[in-house]
Amino acid sequence: MATSAASPAATATGAEVVAKIKAGRERILSEVRKVIIGQEQVVDDVITSFFAGGHCLITGVPGLAKTLLIASLGRAMDLNFRRVQFTPDLMPADITGTEVLEEDRTTGKRAMSFRQGPVFTNILLADEINRTPPKTQAALLEAMQEGQVTVAGSTYQLPRPFFVLATQNPIEQEGTYPLPEVQQDRFMFSLIIDYLPREDEVAVINATTGADPEAIAKCIDGADLLAFNEIVRQIPIAEPLLAYAVRLVHGSRPDRPNALPFITENVSWGASVRASHYLVLGAKARAVLAGRPCVGLEDIQTVALPVLRHRIITNFRAESSGIKPDDVVKRLLTDVPLPGSKLAL
Amino acid sequence: MPATEPTPGPDPALIARIKAAHDGITGQLKQVVVGQEAAVTQILTAMFAGGHCIIQGPPGTAKTLLVSSIGAASGLECKRIQFTPDLMPADISGTEVLEEDRTTGKRITAFVKGPVFTNIVMADEINRTPPKTQAALLEVMQERQVTIGGRTHALPKPFFVLATQINLEQEGTYPLPEAQMDRFMFSVMTGYVNETEEAEIVRRTTSTGHPTLSAVIKGAELIEFAKAIRQVRLPAELGTWIVDLVATSRPTVAGAPDFVKEYIAWGAGLRASQNIALASKSTAAQHGRDTVTADDIRAVTVPVLRHRIGLSFRAEVDKVTVEQVVDRLIAAVPAPGAAQAAKGGR
Repeated sequence: MATSAASPAATATGAEVVAKIKAGRERILSEVRKVIIGQEQVVDDVITSFFAGGHCLITGVPGLAKTLLIASLGRAMDLNFRRVQFTPDLMPADITGTEVLEEDRTTGKRAMSFRQGPVFTNILLADEINRTPPKTQAALLEAMQEGQVTVAGSTYQLPRPFFVLATQNPIEQEGTYPLPEVQQDRFMFSLIIDYLPREDEVAVINATTGADPEAIAKCIDGADLLAFNEIVRQIPIAEPLLAYAVRLVHGSRPDRPNALPFITENVSWGASVRASHYLVLGAKARAVLAGRPCVGLEDIQTVALPVLRHRIITNFRAESSGIKPDDVVKRLLTDVPLPGSKLAL
Repeated sequence: MPATEPTPGPDPALIARIKAAHDGITGQLKQVVVGQEAAVTQILTAMFAGGHCIIQGPPGTAKTLLVSSIGAASGLECKRIQFTPDLMPADISGTEVLEEDRTTGKRITAFVKGPVFTNIVMADEINRTPPKTQAALLEVMQERQVTIGGRTHALPKPFFVLATQINLEQEGTYPLPEAQMDRFMFSVMTGYVNETEEAEIVRRTTSTGHPTLSAVIKGAELIEFAKAIRQVRLPAELGTWIVDLVATSRPTVAGAPDFVKEYIAWGAGLRASQNIALASKSTAAQHGRDTVTADDIRAVTVPVLRHRIGLSFRAEVDKVTVEQVVDRLIAAVPAPGAAQAAKGGR
């Protein structure tokens, strides 16, 4: 059964740790709520990715408080935060850093020394990543993947924890370089941030054009977060649930012999193995953040949208009938046999 | 209906000082700038609220004179940066140089401040410079500080950017992307003056004797003013009206009017609502009032929305301007008072 697995984390100490993480999340949320109005889903998903140790890609029009959200989370978690505006003429060295010639003060000798770029931080907001050419995008993605930067043969470790939140502006325009699928695959979550409902927008203008907002208090620090990342990985997942996660991902691939007709008709590329990995990791993080010591079916289903939407590529036919990757994921959630169902292989 | 919070409201003495400062600065400006009343009003409204402006208009429409005169009349230091295709980010924010300490003989890196370290930056022809340099200016605008070599240098307060953009289409320009335009509170248009005004300009500029402007306020007072302006009351129904006005500009929202779907490619974001609210508070305060009216909102809607709405190809074909679309928006969303009157209320 889905929720009956006996787990090592269900021991006394395990339960305490899980409770501690849940309390941490609630404190962070209440701090962030001081300055961010609405956008509950996005805030929740970003926190989940932080606790799971994954990066996020955020798509949304300008002016929806993306920078404010990330900066506030950084403050609540006592992490350094840097923002880089990506432009068509940004070079890889503008992100990673460069070597400069410097004189050693004591010996008077000249030596090359490394000037760290903005990537040397805990949280990097990469604004409008699709405005920069591929080579510069690749420099960032390499840093994301490796957790280190190599310049002129020397390797420099990035601080830990290290999170990238990249934003994309959905307004179609000339002179943008969409991230290739393989590179999108490196982001754990793809989040969509939309206009606020009317009441929330009214609340925002009242809050932001009035007196200064309250300062954000620090709730946890970077070391706590790294420890939490480890705990998330120790959370058990029942075999049938793991099989369900894999089934969802496999279900998105059109070239399988028994693929659903809906998939073969509308999808040109399905999700990769990374999708299964992040589906399980995201579900684990979500379970812990809710104070539960093991993964439930609902955890997988909730993270399915942000994990799968940028990994499923719809074909021309889907585009012409207005079917978006989100619709494909929703269809998978209804059509793929649930754990315990007789149809499950 | 959300309950209106009993906000304390601004100090009446401060509001009186804001009105006096506005009247004084406008009076001083009249001595040197002929015409361009709308542009003057808008720049002052943004400056009092702590917002930045992008000024668009043909060459020779007193853009530089306007900015330097506002600086002189408000007691602020003003620097001008001519943006060129070869300008680098460090030319704006500053750079670290190697210096020798004279007493010890040791070499150290010292920070040489760039031209942004001032109160008013006039960023001339910002669309002539490549994107990375534009981004450096926009970052400074937003953060009001410069970080170089791991050290952070705060900019003087108050700090305003008045950027100009040549709107003649020409080669070798880099238009600012929407997300970056969004960071300017107002888009101000300067235009050609009428014949009487032009005659007056020629008379003044070809004769001897130039008036010297005197500072009406101290620059530091503006910080106090900006705080008071944030306390100006915005009635709840007007706050909702602002949000409805801006939301109506979005063609993707269900129930958008037909002219919006036809003429607008993308609508204004949340920053538009924020800036309309703040700018209308500033307008109210400059008129000596402590509560925003629908007219204050109407006065600032065009300059706030002008650079935040993208027109469709269809609008270009039909020669529809952003101003016309915004006027139709204001007409399409009735103001709360007007709606009541229409229902026979009051």
